[in-house]
Amino acid sequence: MKHYAVKRLLQLIPILLAITFLSYGMMRIAGSDVVEQKMENTSGTVSQEMIDSAREELGLDKPFVVQYFTWLGNLLRGDMGTSYVSNKPVFSTFVSKLPATLLLTLVSIFLTVLISIPLGIWSAVKQNRATDYVIRTASFIGNSLPNFFVSLLLMYLFAIRLNWFPVISRGVSLQSVALPALTLAIAMSAKYLRQVRATVLDELSKDYVLGAKARGVKFSTTMIRSVMKASLVTIITLLTLSIGSLLGGTAIVESIFMWDGVGKMAVDAINMRDYPIIQAYVMWMAIIYVVFNLITDLSYRFLDPRIRLGGIEQ
Amino acid sequence: MKDTVTVRVQKVKKSGIKTRLIFFLILVAILLLVTLFANQIAPYDPYAQDLSRSMLPPSPEHWMGTDRYGRDLFSRVLVGAQTSIFATLALVGVISLFGTVVGTLCGYYGGALDSVVMRISDVCLAFPGLVFALAIAALLGGGVSNAVLALAVISWPKYARVARSQTLALKNSSFVAAARLSGSTSGQMILRHILPNILGPILVTAMLDIGTMMMELAGLSFLGLGAQPPTAEWGNMMSGGRSMLQTYPWLVLSPGFAIFLTVVIFNLLGDTVRDYMDPKNSRAR
Amino acid sequence: MKKILALLLALCMVLGLAACGSGSNAPAASGGKKTFVFGDTTFNAENEEPDINPHYAYSGWPCIRYGVGETLMKIADDGSLQPWLAESATNINETSWEIMIKDAVCFSNGKKCDAAAVKACLEHLIEVHERAADNLKIASMEADGQKLTIVTSEPNPILMNYLSEAYGCIIDMEVGIPENGCVVGTGPYVATEVVTDDHVSLVKNTNYWDGEVHIDEITVRTISDGDTLAMALQSGEIDAAYGMAYASYPLFENDNYKFTSIQTSRCFWGMVNLHVENPGYAIMSDPAVRKAIALGINKQGFVDVLLNGYGYTATGAFPDSFAFGQGVNTVSYDPAQAKAVLEQAGWVDTDGDGIREKDGQKLSIRWLTYPSRQELPLLAESAQATLKEIGIEVQINSTKDHNSIRKDPTQWDIWVSANVNAGLGDPANFFDTYCLDASIKNSGGHHSDRLEKLAVQLRGTFDPAARAKIAVEMQQELLDDNSYIFCSFLRMSMIMQKGVTGLEAHTCDFYELTAALDIN
Repeated sequence: MKHYAVKRLLQLIPILLAITFLSYGMMRIAGSDVVEQKMENTSGTVSQEMIDSAREELGLDKPFVVQYFTWLGNLLRGDMGTSYVSNKPVFSTFVSKLPATLLLTLVSIFLTVLISIPLGIWSAVKQNRATDYVIRTASFIGNSLPNFFVSLLLMYLFAIRLNWFPVISRGVSLQSVALPALTLAIAMSAKYLRQVRATVLDELSKDYVLGAKARGVKFSTTMIRSVMKASLVTIITLLTLSIGSLLGGTAIVESIFMWDGVGKMAVDAINMRDYPIIQAYVMWMAIIYVVFNLITDLSYRFLDPRIRLGGIEQ
Repeated sequence: MKDTVTVRVQKVKKSGIKTRLIFFLILVAILLLVTLFANQIAPYDPYAQDLSRSMLPPSPEHWMGTDRYGRDLFSRVLVGAQTSIFATLALVGVISLFGTVVGTLCGYYGGALDSVVMRISDVCLAFPGLVFALAIAALLGGGVSNAVLALAVISWPKYARVARSQTLALKNSSFVAAARLSGSTSGQMILRHILPNILGPILVTAMLDIGTMMMELAGLSFLGLGAQPPTAEWGNMMSGGRSMLQTYPWLVLSPGFAIFLTVVIFNLLGDTVRDYMDPKNSRAR
Repeated sequence: MKKILALLLALCMVLGLAACGSGSNAPAASGGKKTFVFGDTTFNAENEEPDINPHYAYSGWPCIRYGVGETLMKIADDGSLQPWLAESATNINETSWEIMIKDAVCFSNGKKCDAAAVKACLEHLIEVHERAADNLKIASMEADGQKLTIVTSEPNPILMNYLSEAYGCIIDMEVGIPENGCVVGTGPYVATEVVTDDHVSLVKNTNYWDGEVHIDEITVRTISDGDTLAMALQSGEIDAAYGMAYASYPLFENDNYKFTSIQTSRCFWGMVNLHVENPGYAIMSDPAVRKAIALGINKQGFVDVLLNGYGYTATGAFPDSFAFGQGVNTVSYDPAQAKAVLEQAGWVDTDGDGIREKDGQKLSIRWLTYPSRQELPLLAESAQATLKEIGIEVQINSTKDHNSIRKDPTQWDIWVSANVNAGLGDPANFFDTYCLDASIKNSGGHHSDRLEKLAVQLRGTFDPAARAKIAVEMQQELLDDNSYIFCSFLRMSMIMQKGVTGLEAHTCDFYELTAALDIN
């Protein structure tokens, strides 16, 4: 297990290298000149000499690959450069956006669990009955509405009509997080509810459930002891993957609710072509991806005895 | 006694699924036909502006009302279907085809090819779609096709993985081993024995993916990285009319309803195809 | 396993309760303090306003708007100058000015704002801010108590107008430009926190030199999304809003809200790209094409429908309420004539796709604009349709990044923006910024000998009536060439909750949050 985790962590390195190299290259091709962008508003008349000396200072006169490795070297020393827009260090800017995204992730995951697991199980138990159809229809609707539309509806209902929650966030607080989190949870629940239902149905059709019934074990006991336990693998996989994607920030929802997190930062940076920030965002996404994949793998191994004992080839 | 009952239930279930399948296939066919002939069906030119007829509510004359520029919304929704649905279908088609081919080859041959391709797919999955869309928009300009390209680059690994794991499982199965013993070449093996058997899961994944991808495209349009004005595209139309949800709701509800309906139809079809292919439902076959 | 489950369930419940329990939405009025929240769509990096440092790009705008900084003179709604930090400004000779700073003025940190402090501030300004240095043409300054003498390198008749620009906010250079961006000005409010693209926190300036300040704490929120802005005002989370989309106005036309609106010189206008390296040069350099574009934009329709009537059509660069905005003339919307002009110049649709061609080149132009001024994309799409009718294809690029794209002459053919053209009560700034060889924002590479000559003349003319005459001539020069197309002026409004008083819209669009602001 430990050995496996270390191996997977080591795999992180080439992926990160490839991704940073790729994004660095893309930004260089796509973007306008860093120097001009930087000097544009900060200094007086810009002469060609000033531009040249600034390029030299930033190492921009060197070949692209050299530049990349210089950037990488700085990165390893903890220097991610400064934002073109705010002129503040990228690292601290990035870190300042993390708590908001973390809270949003946490709350929306909990809301998703709260909605999707009970409804999914209920729907499975009542398969093909009215309850099932109602729940599934609801999940279809939730699954078919674009995020920005859901956010507008929620704003209208909860903020304007009912006045329960604020429209725009007032800092990182539970009250402010409610609407953006609910928006995200609705879409995710709609998706997971179906998965939970399918898994539970799958489990229910297995012989042991019938056997338990035959032996007179109470249905709820079977549900809790066996069925849910068996469904947990699916659910945990889903959740870790979702946490991963949520941690990357949710561009649209964060922008609409003025939630000052990583996703909004990314959208703002992308709009302003603020490459150092974009670069940091790309790295963050890559790290999340690899780490959460690892967690999923490990949890599989931990939860599923067949994999744990090496019975099934990975 | 008990067995016969079970069999009958399964049969009923199976034929129920079949009816459902046919029903949804017809619905999708209608949808596609309407989309295909949208230009002929549309009562007005979807791009003709008439500022004197701006923001009219739905009426017999304009079924879905008009937008800010006095364009007929019903015509725009119809023609927008071409952009939205065809772009989505093209996207899903390309990535599922490409992903399946790559995944099957990786699963079948394994080795260095497999490791390299899987690492590449890791990179694609880990790369944020937004940044990709931006880079592509900056290099090639905005537009639906470039948004599709951006989404394709980050979405194909999903299919490659499904195909790869299915191939791996099949490779070790007895019938493939038998075929190998009977002297089939690798090409024959893949084409005759492996591909036909993994198409089911791929098809289901693709069907269920259509809704997701349609909304992803709409999301990119929302951020200004997708379809450009005046292209009639549902995501574009929705985001353009968004600020008038309270005052002129039809501007956002019309395209919203179109997206909703399409996604629901494709999702239902996807679900039905999955049920249909589920071996548990085919014991009676 | 059971434990995990139990834990999960418990967490869900806690969260559910937390989510439900956090439902109260009382305004944050703590301890009898008066608080005020202002929502603004334009305060962002996209508008070159990443913070409130007046010496950076356009960050002076939020500095003056939100009452952090103040300028030496103030521009009244009729365009005249009124004393503010300065008691008087006298023109001793063509190149020297004597400015008396009011004795009472002090910075929010309590330090007295004397001539030396103003001098230090302006010295830093012209050192780091190209546009300001260009406008002001300050050669030297001398400070003596409250008396500041400014000598300009050449006659600058509108020095005091320029010093009333947002970059002219006087800040305490002993504090300088701190890391956190909270510059120290003389205004009624003191910045305590600046977060780019998110918010600025302000508190009452207890040392304010010009009367009592009523509001204790202000938050200015950047709200880039129009719906969010409308809903935030509806739900009462913000007390007033700047930049509301016209389409949302009906929501607030009732007794619960108040409007303040004024006609401004904020103009929706376009500049044609005449750079030789532009791939579209062959098209844009054809006077017939430019004339057809001018003839092909439905200004009246744009104002009546897309601006919901909150504007008026433009002929030249300035509203006709100013002397320098009168007596100019140009073509108006006339598709038939536009077609004739193109036909005559040899642009004909040979392949039947509705778009004209000439010498194998398609009559297609790239229209660069940006979405933060919400009506700009509407103008683009409206023009796209009317121009298509006369056979010109328009490709719209509406991007927040327009400021860097417009600097690349190969990327666009016409750049359409919305600017306050006579914010300083004088026409010169517009020409200096956009139309001359030396202009920083002459991104289209325009050059006209006559314009340069007139500009020199304008620079040396002190009499307002004579200045107006020259300005009219200069506009006519631009209009005759059709390389600058002026579409409409905006009626600017702010919407507020009914309890808000003292918030007033001004023609120059500078002063928003002042000491007069109060809320009941």
